[in-house]
Amino acid sequence: MSLTTEQMRVLHRNLFRAVTLDKMMMRLIRVGKLVGFYHEGGIALAPGVAAGTFLQQHDIMWPHYRAHGIAHLISKGIDIKRFIAEHMGREDGCCKGRSSFHPSFPKDHVFGYSGNIGANFPMSVGYGFAAKYKQSGQVVMNCSGDGSYGEGRCHEAMLMAANWKLPIIFWCEANGMAQHSNIGDLFPGPDISSLAAGYGIPASIVDGQDLFACAEEALRAIEHTRLGHGPIFIECKTLRAQEHGVGHVNFEGPKPRDPKLMEEWKETRDPLKLASARLLQEKVLTQDDIDRMEAEVAQEAEDIEAFCEASPKALPSIAEMQAAVYAA
Amino acid sequence: MSYEREITLSAAIREAYVEEMRRDERVFMLGISIQAGTYPQTKNLVDEFGVRRIVDTPLAETGMVGCAMGAAQEGLRPILDFMYAGFSYYAGSEVFLQAGQYHFLHGSQHSLPMVMVGSCGLGRHVGNEHATLPYGTTIHHPGIKACMPSTPYDAKGLMKAAIRDDNPVFFLWHINLMMHKGLVPDDDYIVPLGLADVKRAGSDITVLASGLQVHHALKVAEKLKDQISVEVVDARSFEPFDRDTLLKSIAKTTRLVIVDEDFERCGFAAEVSTQMMEHGYDLLDAPVKRVCHPNLPIPGGYMDTYTMPTPERIEDAIRDVCHWGKS
Repeated sequence: MSLTTEQMRVLHRNLFRAVTLDKMMMRLIRVGKLVGFYHEGGIALAPGVAAGTFLQQHDIMWPHYRAHGIAHLISKGIDIKRFIAEHMGREDGCCKGRSSFHPSFPKDHVFGYSGNIGANFPMSVGYGFAAKYKQSGQVVMNCSGDGSYGEGRCHEAMLMAANWKLPIIFWCEANGMAQHSNIGDLFPGPDISSLAAGYGIPASIVDGQDLFACAEEALRAIEHTRLGHGPIFIECKTLRAQEHGVGHVNFEGPKPRDPKLMEEWKETRDPLKLASARLLQEKVLTQDDIDRMEAEVAQEAEDIEAFCEASPKALPSIAEMQAAVYAA
Repeated sequence: MSYEREITLSAAIREAYVEEMRRDERVFMLGISIQAGTYPQTKNLVDEFGVRRIVDTPLAETGMVGCAMGAAQEGLRPILDFMYAGFSYYAGSEVFLQAGQYHFLHGSQHSLPMVMVGSCGLGRHVGNEHATLPYGTTIHHPGIKACMPSTPYDAKGLMKAAIRDDNPVFFLWHINLMMHKGLVPDDDYIVPLGLADVKRAGSDITVLASGLQVHHALKVAEKLKDQISVEVVDARSFEPFDRDTLLKSIAKTTRLVIVDEDFERCGFAAEVSTQMMEHGYDLLDAPVKRVCHPNLPIPGGYMDTYTMPTPERIEDAIRDVCHWGKS
């Protein structure tokens, strides 16, 4: 499935925005402006952009937590400033400042993610079940990392999704690390996607640093599920060129990770550099276009930060919060 | 003109399912072997509603609960049958950390209507996994409602209220009441969650109980009627809990025994007892007494018939509280 030049432009711009906002989030947490934690996306943002860009508004998406799903969310067309305000504990946060880091955009069919890794699996079954029950034509973009496949939940979900032929994309952003452990030390096989074979779910592997290759796989997976062919598994092989979360050690098992290798990845495997180079080479964009985009996106980041700063800190009374526990 | 019929508690739950599924296309059921009908309340439902709405799942409780949550967020109204309520613990994170807390944490923007159903209770000699009563554990976690009927009337009305509620509700029913019979009207009615019921009026002491223990309390009240006038209050709903009805009762009787088939430590009885200390201290003439399952695993074999609160233990507690300060 080949991409149009317009699709490539949109993907590239989404990645540009994701990278810029990821850097802004890193700056904000370092100066103490985020209330909770942040897990840098770094050079692993291409799969998230690919996952979100071609979804329709009514399609359900569970973003991966890396970069806290910013790449996924902006690509799905979500107004990201309310999500960033949430990270800053503000009243205008998408969860009214109550969650620290959860997205919630019910109109866009993003109901959140969870601090419990693997919670995406059974809930995605429910989203897919509802889509099929309602015959709504919705698909489910169920994003998580390779580490999340250690949770038994993934097996229950793959079993149910396959058995009921649910429209669920198991979108695995495999960066080879689970917290401070190398996936190679945690799983017996080389590829997480091999798990799908046990459930008869078709699976493929794609270079997660190649934005356009990921996007082609996303389009294929969306079509597969939209047409009622049941679940599909896409493993995007990506990289984590930094520690798990801000302030953590950067180890794999007992040993520090190789800093030279990570620097090399940043030089040679950065998906934005690769995508920009390709679009320049194919004359889809000029350097002027890219420079203009850089200025626009920098302005967007600045506006978002100003919006968040202007929003009051959410400090509701205990009584107000108690009144908000149940749906009326 | 309305009629009443005498039906079992199980049949009453079944009627609630049928009526609510006919009324609302969004309601569906999922569980293990519910098409065949592990319990009579789901038997033959598939004949009317088909396999689309009566869904047999793999043995995968975590997947089941997540499936119900996701379906609820996408606009359906699932009823999830755990068979045994203790099986809910497989999905501890989903049930306790997520289902009830999702709404608040995500800005109270989007409801999550789902009913979880499970049998519980002692007396079948099968040990802890099948007997455990998870209402205390459930209501420890904010955002999830929980109830347990003692009569077919309450069972049908509470189930209908639970299905129509926009929040997660854990509906527990006592296994030894499955074939318990009572009158149920033909009319559409609900028993609101959060409304206790005075099952027997009395003036000397209040006994708060739920499920099977309501019947134990009623038995003791009848036995003691010429010596001690016992008021029996059925909690019916643990969360929301109807504190006002209980306070009104102890304002009259000045004495309280709480019967709770769950473990004593940190349980519903402990919670209610503290609430009475905080809100009803001046009304009481004697300390509150609990009759609970002791803090040991629910045994199998013959022992569960006396580790559970028995009429004898309830009677002893009533006599103790009534004689407090008089010896």
